[in-house]
Amino acid sequence: MLAALVAAFAPASASPSATDDRVIDNVTGRASSSFTATKALTRVFENADGTTYEFPTNTVTVSASETENLRGRQRITISWTGAQPSGGRASNPYGEKGLQQEYPVVILQCRGRDDASLPPEKQVRPETCWTASVAQRSQIARSEAEATWTHDRLATPADKERVSGMVPFPTKETCPTADQDPFFTRLTPFVASSGKTFKTYEACDSTRMAPEAAVDAAFPPAEIAAFTDSDGAGSVEYEVRSDVENESLGCNHKVECSIVVIPINGLSCDKPAEPATIADSACRKGGRFAPGSSNFSNEGVDQAVSPALWWSASNWANRFSIPVTFGLPPDTCDILDPRPPTGFYGSELLAQASLQWSPAYCLDKKRFKFQHNQMSDEAGWNLMESGGGAAAIVSSKHQRRGDDPVGYAPTAVTGFSIGYVIDRPDNAGEFTDLRLNARLIAKLMTQSYLGSDLGRGHPGIGDNPLGIMNDPEFIALNPGLSQISQEAGAALLSLSNSSDVIEQLTDYIAHDNAAMDFVNGKPDRWGMKVNPSYKKIKLPRTEWPLLDDFIPETENECRQNNPAVYFTQLAAPVTALRKIAEALLDGWPNVQTRCEVDLGTGGYKLGRVDRQSFGARFMLGVVSLGDVERYGLRSASLETSSGDYVAPSDESLAAAVALAKQEKDDEPFVLDQGEVRKSGKAYPGTMIVYTAAKLASLPAEDAAKVAQFIRVATTEGQRTGTGNGELPAGFLPIKKSGVTAKLYDEAQRVAAAVEKQAPTPTAAPSSDTPPPDGGGGTTVTSVPSSAPSADLPSVAPTATASAAPTESPATEPVAMPETQAVSSDLGGRLLPGLLVLGLLGVALASAVRFFVQPPPGPRP
Amino acid sequence: MTTRKVRLGLGTLAVITASTVALLGAPATAVDRGGAADPELSRAAYAQIEGTGSTWSELIVQQWIADVDSNGMKVVYTGGGSSKGRKDFAQNSTDFAISEIPYQGVDEQGNADTSNGREYAYLPIVAGGTAFTYQLKIGDQLVRNLRLSGETITKIFTNQITNWNDPAIAADNNGRAFPSLPITPVVRSDGSGTTAQFTTWMDKEYPSLWRAFYGKAGLTSYYPREGRAVGQAGSDQVMNTIAGFAGNGTIGYVEYSYPVNKDYPVVKVLNKGGYFVEPTDYNVAVALTKAKINQDKSSPLYLTQILDEVYRHPDPRAYPISSYSYMVIPTGATDQRMTTAKRQTLADFMYYSLCAGQTKAGPYGYSPLPLNLVKAGFEQIAKLKTADPAVDLTDRDVTQCNNPTFDGKNLANNLLAETAPQPAACDKAGEGPCGTETGTNTPSTDDGSATPEVTVETPGAPTPGTDPGTGVPAPPDGGAPAVDPDTGEVVVAAGTTTGEQAPDFAAPTELASGRPVDTSTFGWVAALLLVALVLLPGVMVSSFRRRAKASPR
Repeated sequence: MLAALVAAFAPASASPSATDDRVIDNVTGRASSSFTATKALTRVFENADGTTYEFPTNTVTVSASETENLRGRQRITISWTGAQPSGGRASNPYGEKGLQQEYPVVILQCRGRDDASLPPEKQVRPETCWTASVAQRSQIARSEAEATWTHDRLATPADKERVSGMVPFPTKETCPTADQDPFFTRLTPFVASSGKTFKTYEACDSTRMAPEAAVDAAFPPAEIAAFTDSDGAGSVEYEVRSDVENESLGCNHKVECSIVVIPINGLSCDKPAEPATIADSACRKGGRFAPGSSNFSNEGVDQAVSPALWWSASNWANRFSIPVTFGLPPDTCDILDPRPPTGFYGSELLAQASLQWSPAYCLDKKRFKFQHNQMSDEAGWNLMESGGGAAAIVSSKHQRRGDDPVGYAPTAVTGFSIGYVIDRPDNAGEFTDLRLNARLIAKLMTQSYLGSDLGRGHPGIGDNPLGIMNDPEFIALNPGLSQISQEAGAALLSLSNSSDVIEQLTDYIAHDNAAMDFVNGKPDRWGMKVNPSYKKIKLPRTEWPLLDDFIPETENECRQNNPAVYFTQLAAPVTALRKIAEALLDGWPNVQTRCEVDLGTGGYKLGRVDRQSFGARFMLGVVSLGDVERYGLRSASLETSSGDYVAPSDESLAAAVALAKQEKDDEPFVLDQGEVRKSGKAYPGTMIVYTAAKLASLPAEDAAKVAQFIRVATTEGQRTGTGNGELPAGFLPIKKSGVTAKLYDEAQRVAAAVEKQAPTPTAAPSSDTPPPDGGGGTTVTSVPSSAPSADLPSVAPTATASAAPTESPATEPVAMPETQAVSSDLGGRLLPGLLVLGLLGVALASAVRFFVQPPPGPRP
Repeated sequence: MTTRKVRLGLGTLAVITASTVALLGAPATAVDRGGAADPELSRAAYAQIEGTGSTWSELIVQQWIADVDSNGMKVVYTGGGSSKGRKDFAQNSTDFAISEIPYQGVDEQGNADTSNGREYAYLPIVAGGTAFTYQLKIGDQLVRNLRLSGETITKIFTNQITNWNDPAIAADNNGRAFPSLPITPVVRSDGSGTTAQFTTWMDKEYPSLWRAFYGKAGLTSYYPREGRAVGQAGSDQVMNTIAGFAGNGTIGYVEYSYPVNKDYPVVKVLNKGGYFVEPTDYNVAVALTKAKINQDKSSPLYLTQILDEVYRHPDPRAYPISSYSYMVIPTGATDQRMTTAKRQTLADFMYYSLCAGQTKAGPYGYSPLPLNLVKAGFEQIAKLKTADPAVDLTDRDVTQCNNPTFDGKNLANNLLAETAPQPAACDKAGEGPCGTETGTNTPSTDDGSATPEVTVETPGAPTPGTDPGTGVPAPPDGGAPAVDPDTGEVVVAAGTTTGEQAPDFAAPTELASGRPVDTSTFGWVAALLLVALVLLPGVMVSSFRRRAKASPR
């Protein structure tokens, strides 16, 4: 009764081999839970008369999705129920930014295990728990009202001293600010592990912290003071760190660690003095923020219920220790390996697989050193065709510019998704089942939402909703969300350059009648109209252009000084899918409408808006399925046939692969979005990633490497897992049987064709073999629009004219567009119009004169 | 595109062959590391390093980070701008920073811009050209071959030239005039190394123009936007603004990789050799052979780049506004954030970046660092070992370097200078302009014979026996004309073209007839007139007859 703790640890349900007997959906990466424990937590006050007062008990159950064979930066889901509802939500709950909250659930990674039978250095204690900042560990020079830990009912007498935490206490030289009578200080030092030796960091200021600790570092903290909703439940994706990411914490396959979950339930307080001191009453405080409220202005909170004292005895006693083990570190390539890497260039869709695959190449002496250089599909394709890259990584058919045939070997099945991060109103947690249809996506891409009042002046669409959250169509589909407008609700963060992803996404829109009606100018039934700048835009297309030119008129001096196309600032596309994934992860829209005084120049400047606060996030972006799994993002379900919404999963990707057809050998499979719609089960964002390589004139050495890559990638590379050479989550494995069999067969066939290489007529002196057609004088291979003036032969200047008639090369240094006056439709049509009018007049006069028989009448 | 890559490939091949030979001679290097008794001890122990800074170089740094992942190195880099990078490093929040400019002592806002006592060294990591990308349309067509002198560019960005029809712009384009359209400069609104590089160049080369505009001497990371100019945060946004539908008439400055990524044109800038050149990897690399590291320890700019001679390099291939980005690494023996494992990661990440990592600089729109800068880089890496003797730098040096710009076995041999193509004759001031498109990451050159692809395309070319790697220039006026690799069209070399070009530029204003709308409308009018011409006389005649018949009545 004293501690009022009933520990009821349920046995961890994880099986010894984490992957064998569990069914894991590789696309969604979901596995069954493997840790659950329940504890009853009660806050107790000791009264002056010796009696106790007990608060109602919270019976908390904590679960973790995975606990074994973890790797660095893996995200595991930690969820709980039954906790005290949190209040005063911080805009960012991570690291020191999450301290100003009440009743959160503190989650930390610590070295050691909660097992009294272990030697002391292998046991988990506050000193082995990692935090990135001093403020999360130590309380330095606090007034009495902020020294509530000195009245913790479970604290030892030593811990109730004015200065405590280390024996002996650090000297003035080491910690100059720590011991300042009459202020209170509590240190929670950190004990770093480096193999067998341990080093203690006093944690009294930022110079006395472990090397990995920093505030506002590039590598954000993982430890979190997470929010419990008003039902007492909550969940986070917690990123674990191995000794590679955090050497001082030092968790690896030999050093056992724990994830410590501490639901802050309020300090239990000891017997108060008579009369009660200021500290006595501070210890008894119960919070100033209502459950579910937010604290975005970062106001002070009641220390007794804040996460800052997680180490204090009564908080620490409430901990759940989730034992975790780390897998063997993957073997890695030697930096001094003299083999030069062979670069494959192209699609970012394969990025996460490439990361896991490449060590399996460099570690094997029989293989080559594989490198995937991420760039746009088109740029990678061009490099492959020009001989700059051995192969291209693409996911649709590309225009061939050379004569050499190109084979497409299916290498992976993955795709894109519309990733999102949306918080439900009143801090009720994240929204997890977003549904979108093609028209809603078309509305976002055509910049048809207004963003804010600034957009209302846009000609033709001034009555449209400000953001998707205000669109009745969206609200009907996703009820219960906040309808407070945000500029980010007018944008789908997407790619600025050409990409096969954009092509498929716009093809999905193109096959939806409602969406195309909207794009072509028909208002939806709530009266929303397409932005006239995008009306009748041709779809599908590989690059999404920024077509709007509306600059709002405003009284705002800053915007007057920085006239910018408002809708372009809202859309603000970026160059890489990874950037979109990171923006979603940070809840930081790329909306560039912030206008503020520039301290440097005294003028005004535009910039990116602030990060969104936890609890008020709303952001959408186009992401790769590999990144979705890597970063733990959420994917929207997309509408296929009317009313069917399909999310990416093994099943829905397989259903799409089953629909994909190949017209002839060597070519890519085509996924007809019309059939996807009909099927109702296939995921529209499914994409097959190909290794595209030349089937002729590829140097034999490169040909062998490409063939090897295709064979390895489609066999060993399709085993799911997190190890070297294995297929990460977010990809559907290609197998010899089942729906992916056709991909497997085609890959093997193309591999053979690449290896064989079509015979070439002549042996060239250079490494590049001439194409069979060596005849023509000017075989243009690489630039399609090589002669810009060819479009207008009749008006071209003389040099072009002289070049035109002959096949043979002509002197043509100039291919600049012709200088001409700014075009004017009126000017262009007025004169010929008048001429035509005159002509018609003449014709009419003649007709009247000659055809119309004058009425018979008396001649003069 | 092929041209360069293949030659590059051959260059690399030579290095590979050489290093393979070296390996056979000394097999201990690789084998010892892999074959030791305890495999865990034999591997370099790495710990994750993190940094912030430049967006100018971010595109390639992120690729390097992906590359070294297979070596077990974990690197986190989040960009945010050079100014932020330097500040985070000074506050001990990061293990390294990437910046285009050194610590300034005091920044524009009067705040301290120092390392706050943290010991550091500057280490060049990648070179590139600050490119001027623009949208200028004539009718419906995007101009893709604009040329500008440094002075014209400076006047544009200091609001002295404000219309595309300015005679100075026409003069740069050999008399080719552009339509009357206001110029909208697009500048960076955030603290940017790109801005710093651009303003450094203006301050050095056109001080009277720049200083009058800025109000003082020196560079700035925050562009003093004025007049029509618009400010945008980040290189992506500058690109979006220029390439957008409303972007006609805009011009902005970004690292070359951004327009290359977007397939958007860039200005060919006049160099001291008298040629207008694009910031391709070759042109930047040639220019940077003149870069110097400040070795004056008393200077506050100790160990930073001195680019004066780069700006004025007389080589016809040199792109004047070339510079490099560098990493700020902690060199203190007692640095609070450093451990042996972190220093090892820094050293090996840089070893990869300076050597093999440079091979992909070209495809990404950057330029491989030339020998002098790689050497300077290795000198800085050595300071990590000075700080901590446990750092292993064995075999990590210039001779083991898989860098495409030089042959690690014969350091005196500058592969780059040999392989960089000479500019096309029509790129010369007073000639051309060339019709070749910019922003395609392809050199504009007459060096047809250096291009295996071209030898294929032109059976008549006299080069089948020539080693493609040596880059023999095309004969100026032989039986075999050089082929422009972009257009596939034959370019007649200098000396023979001027006469033929002249009439083209004598009348650059035969304008209105070129409007497509005219062509079609007048076509219809002509057709109608023709019909009328054929039909009317007959109609008249028959009608007259009819009337004649009727008249007796």
